[in-house]
Amino acid sequence: MSSVIWRIVGGVLNVGIVLLVAPLGQGVLRKVTARVQSRQGPPLWQPYFDLLKLLGKEDIESGETPRMQRFAAYLSLATVLAVACLVPMGFASPMNGAADIILLIYLLTLCGICTLLAGLAAGSTYSLVGASREMMSMIALEPVFAIALIVGALHTGSFRLDTVLNGSVYGTAGVPWSGLIMLAVMILSFQAFVQRVPFDISEAETELMEGPLMEYSGPKLALFKYAQMAKLVIYSALFVRMFVPWGAGFTFPLAGLVFWAMFWAKVAVVVLVVTLVAATHARYRIDQAIRFFAGMFAAALGALVLASYGY
Amino acid sequence: MIAREMFEEFKARFGPLIDRADLPNDRRLFVYVDRTVVQYVCQHIFRELDARYVASIGTDDRPFSGKFLVAHNFAFDKDHVLCSVLTQLPEDDLKIDSITRMVPAASWAEREMRDLLGIQPVGHEYLKRLVLPDGWPEGSHPLRKDVPWNEVPADYDENREFEFGATPEGCTVVPFGPFHPTLDEPAHFRLYVEGERVRGCEYRGFMVHRGIEKLAESVMSYNDIPLLAERICGICGCVHSVAYVQAVEEAAALKVPPRAEYIRTIMLELERLHSHLLWVGLACHIVGFDTLFMQSFRIREPIMWIAEKISGNRKTYAICLVGGVRRDITHELKAELRVVLDKLEREWRPVVEAVSGDRNIQKRTCGVGVADKVAVKSSGLVGPVARAAGVEIDCRRDHPYAAYDRVEFDVITAESADVWGRVVVRMKEVFESIRIIRQCLDKMEDGPLGLEIKDELPVGRMGLSSVEAPRGESHHFVITGENNRPRRWRVRAPTYQNLQGVAAMIKDQQIADMTISLGSIDPCFSCTDRMETIDVRSGARKVWSQKELLELTWAKMDRETK
Repeated sequence: MSSVIWRIVGGVLNVGIVLLVAPLGQGVLRKVTARVQSRQGPPLWQPYFDLLKLLGKEDIESGETPRMQRFAAYLSLATVLAVACLVPMGFASPMNGAADIILLIYLLTLCGICTLLAGLAAGSTYSLVGASREMMSMIALEPVFAIALIVGALHTGSFRLDTVLNGSVYGTAGVPWSGLIMLAVMILSFQAFVQRVPFDISEAETELMEGPLMEYSGPKLALFKYAQMAKLVIYSALFVRMFVPWGAGFTFPLAGLVFWAMFWAKVAVVVLVVTLVAATHARYRIDQAIRFFAGMFAAALGALVLASYGY
Repeated sequence: MIAREMFEEFKARFGPLIDRADLPNDRRLFVYVDRTVVQYVCQHIFRELDARYVASIGTDDRPFSGKFLVAHNFAFDKDHVLCSVLTQLPEDDLKIDSITRMVPAASWAEREMRDLLGIQPVGHEYLKRLVLPDGWPEGSHPLRKDVPWNEVPADYDENREFEFGATPEGCTVVPFGPFHPTLDEPAHFRLYVEGERVRGCEYRGFMVHRGIEKLAESVMSYNDIPLLAERICGICGCVHSVAYVQAVEEAAALKVPPRAEYIRTIMLELERLHSHLLWVGLACHIVGFDTLFMQSFRIREPIMWIAEKISGNRKTYAICLVGGVRRDITHELKAELRVVLDKLEREWRPVVEAVSGDRNIQKRTCGVGVADKVAVKSSGLVGPVARAAGVEIDCRRDHPYAAYDRVEFDVITAESADVWGRVVVRMKEVFESIRIIRQCLDKMEDGPLGLEIKDELPVGRMGLSSVEAPRGESHHFVITGENNRPRRWRVRAPTYQNLQGVAAMIKDQQIADMTISLGSIDPCFSCTDRMETIDVRSGARKVWSQKELLELTWAKMDRETK
């Protein structure tokens, strides 16, 4: 019984924290970008106001299939928040034992599918081009993240969330070759997972006018934007859990709290790095990006082979 | 070869079919040829003498000579000669052989002639409307002298749309425009796309043609027009006003005082500086590199301020008049300008280094939007687009005007012929502009700012002027007239030629490269034609149609003239 209550409380806590922190992450991103560009930049809490304003606007039905459009917006935020329940954020995952990393992989793929649905629902040429770009990069990219998780699963022999999402990619071998390869691959393709420059190809404002999102406005746009902001936080959290989880072994008093603070500090560092990379790069073209992803995919496969032989 | 030698060469080749010529000086040639031979003369000039095509101009000369006049202008850049091939057409037979088969670059100019004057280019292969709206009735040609400047035909159908050609097999249509966030101005490219690759396109523009030439010829005066000309473009306005006054000065044989020439040069170069910085920023923005976009705008800002100090305006300097300039550059302003230039040079160098070493930007621009030497020649491409293809043309050196014959500078070229080459050329030209302004500040002599013109300007004389705008050559053609205004004034902005080369640049490229390819010619269309008003108290909205707006404007003008 108590475990059920813990799950509900933990899940609500995770979702709450993500919802609360995500706009702040976006605020930091915008402020730092502005500083790099010699601008003043908006106040840190501007994204909260932006979301509130969008939520308060008229809810316009548009595009080819307005119902699907609405569904895609709801599904998008819902999926991201469901992922939030699975990820251990400073303490054990609330859904530990009830869910495994296979579900995590499914949900992460579903995020991309929401963008796809949105593009199809709008039905305009630009959104369709955006949707097809999204599809191409999804096919090339999603396996990479899945492989990272599977490498961890291979090392630990378990699909459990808390086991795999605990630096397991490094395994127990002397030199964790597969883990290091996956770390490099993830760092190089991280911008793509969070859809930032140089990989914001499916939305590319100056080419596709926001692509799949072009027909969105008001509350539905707010949901999509919220989901994108949350994605940045959740992927950063996943990255931290998979590659730099250190600090869980402390035993002194209040160690839990210190670990919790450390976890969020690490997430903040990842967000900052994402910002700086985004501010100092130009956007890739889809064919260039796919070639890049293919390289990443090949490296990840290599890591998988190494991992299966115990390296 | 000077102009007279050229004329003698034509005379020897075509004999009596060359009627006569005007040779105002060694660098201008106005040659009148018989209509039967015009396409051969043009072919000879364009192919054998390897001249560059500049513009074709039609004009209704009936009130004066009883005939229509067609001029094909060419530039002999190495010989520093501008040449105009003129043909007279009788009113009852308005046909002239099209020159587009030999000179593809003349395509738009001939279509424009057909729209605005009803002169039929015989043998032109693509005779769709270019300038006039699609609902404009056949047979009504606004630029004819018997049509009032504000006439809208009764049977004008505002809602009729352009008919695009059939979509090629296996292609889908991606409409690029009429409004697109990277264009800022309306123009419609209908792209035929196979997957992510552009297979072809059709263009319809001129949605906001403002009839500036007609307005100038009918209601304005010589010294009003520089201000109107400046409003042709929000970026290179000064170029247009200088080009216009120079064409008038040339036609009327006026000698401008040297100080005024230096001031014009300085203002033109200031304009080039701000335009190049703006464009490099925009190009970065188009490929998603917003940091450099913001930085180049920051570096550009002091130029806008010093321009405001000199002229009273950040843009649209309103500094030119026929015979001189309106404002002086004082000693204090000179000192300030030097400080601004030093700072600019200091700040721009790291940006150039950063961009030059950035593989990311090169990936998006190398091999993209290619226009090689052949394309430059056949489409008559100008400015950085031509120079990036290794075609060394620059009106400042080839057809010197203002004080450019008294300063030293290099013509920057690149060999890659792609967007990257254009970025390199424009980045480096910033340093040349700084160099030119510094020399002008050193050499500027004291003296009057303008001529005092007491007499009427002579009537019926022609003047040509090519000015190197930041994005390429701006060419103005003026025939002086009665009532203190020109009889004909034709403007050919650089985009007029460069836009004609875009179709070839984007063919078989990725759709993602469309924006940067088009952006690389720095297109300049015009401004918007509709507006929406909201009554704040009642919240009532009203969208004004073009027709209503025009009526409102005319009603206001009528009130004011009464």
